[in-house]
Amino acid sequence: MTAPATPAPRTVPTPGADAPAPLDRRGLVVGVSAVAVTIVAVFVGSEGLRWFDAALAGYLAGTLFAIFGVAYRYTVWLRRPPTARLNRRGWEAFLRPGRRGRNVAHLPGLLVRNVLLQTFILRRSISRWLAHQLIFWGCVLAVLVTFPLTFGWLHFQSVGQDAQQYQAFVAGIGTFEFASRSVLGWTIFHLLDIAAILVLAGVAIFLGRRLRDPGAIAIERSNDFLALAGLFAVSVTGLMLTVSSLWMEGSFYVFLTNLHALTVILGLLYIPFGKLFHIFQRPANIGIEYYKTEGARGGALDCRSCGKPFASALQIGDLEAILPRLGFDYSLADGDNYQRTCPRCRRRLLTQAQSARVRGFG
Amino acid sequence: MIGPSALGDGMFVVDPSRCIGCEACVQACGECGTHRGRSLIHLDQVDRSTTVQTVPMVCMHCEDPTCAQVCPADAIKQNEDGVVQSALKPRCVACSNCVLACPFGVPKYEADFDLMMKCDMCYDRTSQGVAPMCASVCPSQALWFGTPEEFADTRRGTLTNEFQFGNETVRTRVHTVVDEPGPLQVTAGPTESPWQDDPFGLATVEA
Repeated sequence: MTAPATPAPRTVPTPGADAPAPLDRRGLVVGVSAVAVTIVAVFVGSEGLRWFDAALAGYLAGTLFAIFGVAYRYTVWLRRPPTARLNRRGWEAFLRPGRRGRNVAHLPGLLVRNVLLQTFILRRSISRWLAHQLIFWGCVLAVLVTFPLTFGWLHFQSVGQDAQQYQAFVAGIGTFEFASRSVLGWTIFHLLDIAAILVLAGVAIFLGRRLRDPGAIAIERSNDFLALAGLFAVSVTGLMLTVSSLWMEGSFYVFLTNLHALTVILGLLYIPFGKLFHIFQRPANIGIEYYKTEGARGGALDCRSCGKPFASALQIGDLEAILPRLGFDYSLADGDNYQRTCPRCRRRLLTQAQSARVRGFG
Repeated sequence: MIGPSALGDGMFVVDPSRCIGCEACVQACGECGTHRGRSLIHLDQVDRSTTVQTVPMVCMHCEDPTCAQVCPADAIKQNEDGVVQSALKPRCVACSNCVLACPFGVPKYEADFDLMMKCDMCYDRTSQGVAPMCASVCPSQALWFGTPEEFADTRRGTLTNEFQFGNETVRTRVHTVVDEPGPLQVTAGPTESPWQDDPFGLATVEA
């Protein structure tokens, strides 16, 4: 793709000046398609709605909205010039003939380190990493339990006439059996309580940090608290259901059921808009890893000022192509581009120009 | 473009020509509440064999930040005070587009965190009307924070916040000091600046 000769008008609005944008057609198509695929999967997976639990219909509606919203936003996000280019470059690097085997072999390690264990957070601080891991695994556990239940993909049946013996069915196929009064049975029926406790522990650590750290307080936004408040509300109202049935003889159970459903559905509605969208965005880091490897293989670019190599020629070329589309023109009088200057020389040039303007030692 | 702000009429002025390279700012920067333990200010030397000039660089907080525009993850945000913040940690995908595209060479890619970090003008301090860490310790006032009136009372020179890089004019929230009004031409002059042989401008003084 070649860049247009004249810079396009700046696309990112200044704070407070954003006009309402029209709906993105491709985003709509992708969003609606994702919802349609999910509905078909629900229908098939629940054996024609035979195992679909009507009591969970509200959760399904919330989930479908979240799927639409996430698919829509992801599609729109991928169309921003820098995102589109890095997305394409990432896949090109991954699928490069002669490199595919190595790239695939490299993938599990990247997924474990960057997506599952998030070791990059561990190097920032242990408490942050622990909090993030607790919330991450709590949410993963909750999603693995609730989505199949909501979609009608998972149900339990007693085995024959033995009321104590249960069997789990996934998409109508019988899987493992367990005794409902066993440790395994107790654990399975309390998986969501366990998830809630994991999430609450993580929320407590994050909240403590947000309330105490002056640096965090200075730069935080309402979004940061909203995400924590949502996770807290979902977990606490969910736990209250167990509390009601175990120790309150079922008091307020119906009210609590509705309250929990409300928090979960609001949470699902929030996912595409707020901070939690990073769940879908941040894994793009995997593509960047391949892009960086590709850039390193392709050779470095020498700084036009000091002559030393400073970045991959691939990435500087990409920036030179993207910048005019974003409304920037860093071309120089001699036909070269300022972007071919290394960051250190950029700082030096500024200082030398300023110092010369005030005739040194102003 | 930038409305009433938590910074009041506080103004951050960078005058590299006054920098003596003492590195007090480098130490102080690491104490900043928003990125404790990591110093994000740059302090380089031009060329030790030819000049004693040193190069301090903080984020200039562009009105239309190139770094934010080239970010594929939409991770760099400008707040209502026009302060361009460090990358949002959940979003940054560590591609280094911002590091390479910033005309001032400011953002740093922190490899162990797999994250871009940059100066956020000590927003925990400046939003309370207190000078940034670096400006609070700078002995030569190369890094200075105050009101325009204080500047007029105590300093020489004219302020500018316009920088010319080839065809691109960049306007910033942080100001620098020049002789006459007008944008600072960063790329116009020769790479080796002639003043190094005449740091006090004696040759240009009329006899």
